[in-house]
Amino acid sequence: MAALKEKRTCAQRCEDFGYFVWNPDTKQLLGRTLDKWVYISLYYVAFYIVMSGLFVLALYVLLSTLSPYTPTYRDRLQSPGVVMRPNTYGDEGLLIVYEVNKPDSYTPLIHTLQNYLTPYNRTEQHAHYENEHCNGNKYFTQNEPKDPEQKLLSCPFYRSSLGKCSGMDNSTFGYPDGQPCIIIKMNRVTSSFRHCPILSTAPVCQGRLLVNVYFLFFKQKGEPKNLHNIEYFPPNGTFDLHYFPYYGKIAQPSYMNPLVAVKFNSLEKNKLLKIECRVVADKISADNIHDPYEGKVEFEIEIKNGTAVNK
Amino acid sequence: MGKKGDQYEVFVEMGRDTNGEMDAKIKKKKKVKKKEMLEGMKKEMEIDDHELTIEELEMKYSTSTTKGMSSTLAAQVLERDGANELKPPKGTPEYVKFARQLAGGLQCLMWVAAVICFIAFGIQFAQEDLTSYDNLYLAITLIAVVVVTGCFGYYQEFKSTNIIASFKNLVPQKATVFRDGQKSQINANQLVVGDLVEIKGGDRVPADVRIITAQGCKVDNSSLTGESEPQSKGPECTHENPLETRNIAFFSTTCLEGIATGIIINTGDRTIIGRIASLASGVGNEKTPIAIEIEHFVDIIAGLAIFFGATFFVVAMVIGYQFLKAMIFFMAIVVAYVPEGLLATVTVCLSLTAKRLAKKNCVVKNLEAVETLGSTSVICSDKTGTLTQNRMTVSHLWFDNHIHSADTTEDQSGQSFDQSSETWRALGRVAGLCNRAVFKPGQEEIPIPKREVIGDASETALLKFTELTIGNVIDYRGRFKKICEVPFNSTNKFQLSIHELEDPLDLRYLLVMKGAPERILERCSTIMIKGQELPLDEQWKEAFQTAYMDLGSLGERVLGFCHIFMNEKEYPRGYNFDTDEMNFPTSGLCFAGLISMIDPPRATVPDAVMKCRTAGIRVIMVTGDHPITAKAIAANVGIISEGSETVEDIATRLRIPVEQVNRGDARACVINGGQLKDMTSDELDDALRAHPEMVFARTSPQQKLIIVESCQRLGSIVAVTGDGVNDSPALKKADIGIAMGIAGSDAAKNAADMILLDDNFASIVTGVEQGRLIFDNLKKSIAYTLTKNIPELTPYLIYITVSVPLPLGCITILFIELATDIFPSVSLAYEKAESDIMHLKPRNPKRDRLVNEALAVYSYFQIGAIQSFAGFTDYFTAMAQEGWLPLLCVGLRSQWENPHNQEVQDSYGQEWTYSQRLYQEYTCYTVFFVSIEICQISDVLIRKTRRLSVFQQGFFRNKVLVTAIVFQLLLGNFLCYCPGMPNIFNFMPIRVQWWFVPVPFGILIFVYDEIRKLGVRRHPGSWWDKELYY
Repeated sequence: MAALKEKRTCAQRCEDFGYFVWNPDTKQLLGRTLDKWVYISLYYVAFYIVMSGLFVLALYVLLSTLSPYTPTYRDRLQSPGVVMRPNTYGDEGLLIVYEVNKPDSYTPLIHTLQNYLTPYNRTEQHAHYENEHCNGNKYFTQNEPKDPEQKLLSCPFYRSSLGKCSGMDNSTFGYPDGQPCIIIKMNRVTSSFRHCPILSTAPVCQGRLLVNVYFLFFKQKGEPKNLHNIEYFPPNGTFDLHYFPYYGKIAQPSYMNPLVAVKFNSLEKNKLLKIECRVVADKISADNIHDPYEGKVEFEIEIKNGTAVNK
Repeated sequence: MGKKGDQYEVFVEMGRDTNGEMDAKIKKKKKVKKKEMLEGMKKEMEIDDHELTIEELEMKYSTSTTKGMSSTLAAQVLERDGANELKPPKGTPEYVKFARQLAGGLQCLMWVAAVICFIAFGIQFAQEDLTSYDNLYLAITLIAVVVVTGCFGYYQEFKSTNIIASFKNLVPQKATVFRDGQKSQINANQLVVGDLVEIKGGDRVPADVRIITAQGCKVDNSSLTGESEPQSKGPECTHENPLETRNIAFFSTTCLEGIATGIIINTGDRTIIGRIASLASGVGNEKTPIAIEIEHFVDIIAGLAIFFGATFFVVAMVIGYQFLKAMIFFMAIVVAYVPEGLLATVTVCLSLTAKRLAKKNCVVKNLEAVETLGSTSVICSDKTGTLTQNRMTVSHLWFDNHIHSADTTEDQSGQSFDQSSETWRALGRVAGLCNRAVFKPGQEEIPIPKREVIGDASETALLKFTELTIGNVIDYRGRFKKICEVPFNSTNKFQLSIHELEDPLDLRYLLVMKGAPERILERCSTIMIKGQELPLDEQWKEAFQTAYMDLGSLGERVLGFCHIFMNEKEYPRGYNFDTDEMNFPTSGLCFAGLISMIDPPRATVPDAVMKCRTAGIRVIMVTGDHPITAKAIAANVGIISEGSETVEDIATRLRIPVEQVNRGDARACVINGGQLKDMTSDELDDALRAHPEMVFARTSPQQKLIIVESCQRLGSIVAVTGDGVNDSPALKKADIGIAMGIAGSDAAKNAADMILLDDNFASIVTGVEQGRLIFDNLKKSIAYTLTKNIPELTPYLIYITVSVPLPLGCITILFIELATDIFPSVSLAYEKAESDIMHLKPRNPKRDRLVNEALAVYSYFQIGAIQSFAGFTDYFTAMAQEGWLPLLCVGLRSQWENPHNQEVQDSYGQEWTYSQRLYQEYTCYTVFFVSIEICQISDVLIRKTRRLSVFQQGFFRNKVLVTAIVFQLLLGNFLCYCPGMPNIFNFMPIRVQWWFVPVPFGILIFVYDEIRKLGVRRHPGSWWDKELYY
């Protein structure tokens, strides 16, 4: 015991460690002779080969049980998320701030929208996607494909149906006029509506006034109120039912998300407004406090009017 | 009164043999570092007061042997010297005790980890890269764990300290003192040097006292020297050594009988006993073996953690992470290696054992000492009071030419001898009548052997013996009216009394006599055999001699008894017996028999010593008592086993000089203090190595210390048992000091780590067993706890290197470490021993480590690896079934963790918001958690044994472990399915089938370990055994 208790000097410790690394008496390297190292290494190699084999086998069994078209469960996707463009972020969330008189402040926003809408050009989508199911406001249900080569049909969504917000007539999306467009999209979720018919899906946007009190760096939330003078595109402001259900990207590689554009025609200038666009539909919840993007999208917008500031 | 002078002859001889050895205390020098202190002691020990004349004394202390000191001077001296009491040993302040709880090996590891967490948090905070507060939570949890377990440990020790404290005698002691010529009673702590005090039988000597006058004063020095023999005290200086001389009585010894006055020469801490006590406090405490083991373990953990952290730091840098990011990874890996739950597990396991021991009357002062007994390879035991009953008891009788054995057991459960002989009646009558000892009143309820008696040790023994065999002795004595008596004195060496007979018609007087056997025999002319008086011829004398020698060699004190009926014609009723003139026959008596006495070993001791032997533990006797007695008791209890001989025994047997005996042939060896004094430490080491059975007699406190040190030098872990103040330095020096709870002095208890409440040596065996068991079980607990470190770490490594979404979160890890797995790891402490641990040798502290390489490697890289595979299988299952196929997961991290991306596509083209991904991540945490739990159930089952098959050990025998598994599952289910958990602790209600994904891996772990154990059992010593047995 005594030997263990003695305070060893650093030099002694180093020497001990040196002996541990290479012990010339027993020809041991790090506590083992060379052949022992070979044995133990082989043992571990074998062990890990077997374990990795078992792991791969387990994954193989797992993958072979999965359907290639739809996920087994959608536990986390009870309600689809809702997103918008332009999607610029401030400290707290989506935030659109631009100045009417400064094109630099809104050009990136317009670019985002333009880029986003490019795949929706008529030329990008093949005509044969059009079929009779894409006309009525009814679910476009198809049978799951039998073999991987077979693809399912999907309905086209043309940019033109966004009207003033399509960017085709007015490539500025109304930003310089203080009447900006935003585009709302519902995330794709497979088959989510197969058993739960949606009567209507329409985003409804409500605003809250956020008064900027600059000297206090303090933002005050107002009561929600309906915004006046909002235009929805397509004109009814709904996602048509024939875009649903979604069969997954393997079965339906050509699927296009339907979009709804919102044009705010008379937003108060120089005020930070908080706007929430909520998808109204059965079985789509928009009340999950832990997910701000579930069934709704919230953003803040402030349109600065240079003249107003200058006054 | 007036029974002055020496004890009976046999003992006087032995006493003289050993005279002059006590000064070893003074002369023996020890290690260099202690030299100075001892040098100081030596100087102080030079008391010459015993050599001064009374006049010189009066001068020296300005006192008077008739009037005592003046009150004013006494007050001044009191002012100068302080109160006459032993300063309590500098108790460790409570905050230091608490701080010690926070500064163990594991605790330090956790402190460092917490600091690293804070640094990592600080870096993240400064970089405004705060994705989570995990590092902060982790740091706080680590600190909380240390503090909470610290409080727990502190509370445990506080409780046992309280048990011990309650034994302290708080009644203030009074002393009779003369001041200003007035005799008065004052508190003993007010006494000063120079005071004239009076000591009576039953008093404790209040300070070191130079005796001025004495009448039959006998003092029990056992608390100082361990000698059970009372010492007579008188005014004459008999020896130049103050410890040997008769005219100094020492503080804290007890005056058994007689009366004496004396002048105080030393008070308080300057008394001999005070110096021994302070010697104890000067001896450093040794680190407990378990603390050393834990430090060794922490070294391993820290080494591995840094190795892993550094490796992945390099990997991260190579992959292209920023330096600071890589640094944070490094820290996270190092911290992930800290087994947070282990500290709690170890503390709880130790306190469980401490509790179990407390039930068996061993109170442990220091939790870590619980294990020390298990590692013990040498027990140095005091004799008196520990191995023996510390009570003189009649052990043998010789009459009718036979040696009869008396019952010496504490509870009188042993065999008695044949009491039908007429001779026995005569012998018993002499023993009962020629005896001045009486029971203290009011003890009718107490069993006879435990009653208190007024009288010296041998008379007490005879009184109890006759009370047990004849019946009510006081009544018996009443029937034989005592006419006169001659008390024992050193010239006569006998005691006699004359009685009337029981039968009122028989007018003879009866003279009874006892004393040193050869003196008694001289006075006899006849001997009683089977009730017949036969002439005492040479043949009978030889028989007597043989019996006397036999009994003497047993280390027993032998007394002879004889009697005579005096003729009623010569000595009619009313005859005036004159004790000075001796006008009655004192020769030509009738010899009745011999009675021998010894302080017998406790009934449980031989068995306990035997068990220690089978457990590979050497029991060494270290006593202040005489060599012959010590050897006899050692042989009696098995410390010297049957057939073992000392060098001297061999010499006698072979009739050759001692020098010619081959020392290697002698298993046993008795060394007395005098010999020890002349031995160098190397010689002592050699002696300890050469003779497995050792007895040290007539040793001083310092010598006990030297013996302990020598054993420790030889690599043993030493336990010391003792009760007296003289033992306290050795108790302190020992790896574990064991004090006696009832007989033990406060000094001994203070110095000890463990206290036997019932003074039963056999409890030590229980302690050894429990200590060994807890060592084994701690090993199992640690193996169990370490295993899950790997499945907790690999997710993070894979997360860094392959950039998959994080499979296991920090809070979840903390739940595994500190909630679900604590109970199972503690339950392993209830596991029964695999083999008969009391038949194994004590562990070799250099080789048999608590955590060895094999344990760490097997747990980490085999079982832990299987668990990791189980976790990842379950992780990929949960991911794939929710839409994220394994290949997609690789490299997904940056998208996955971007809070501004609400449209990350999974393998099926579905788009996920950040929160949806986050909850999916929590789902992964939970399935990984569940996988670890399931594998840990398998793990706890395999850890039940290290060598045996679990089927041999019994699956359900450890009920606590079964309960723990059930608890673990219930807790896991609660965490998963309690509403609200996802947002508080990141547990998700996962699908039921994901609980079953890891089950095959659990079965694999079990089967693999059974194969390992089979190999280990079948091929001991093989490569397999060496690499895979931990």
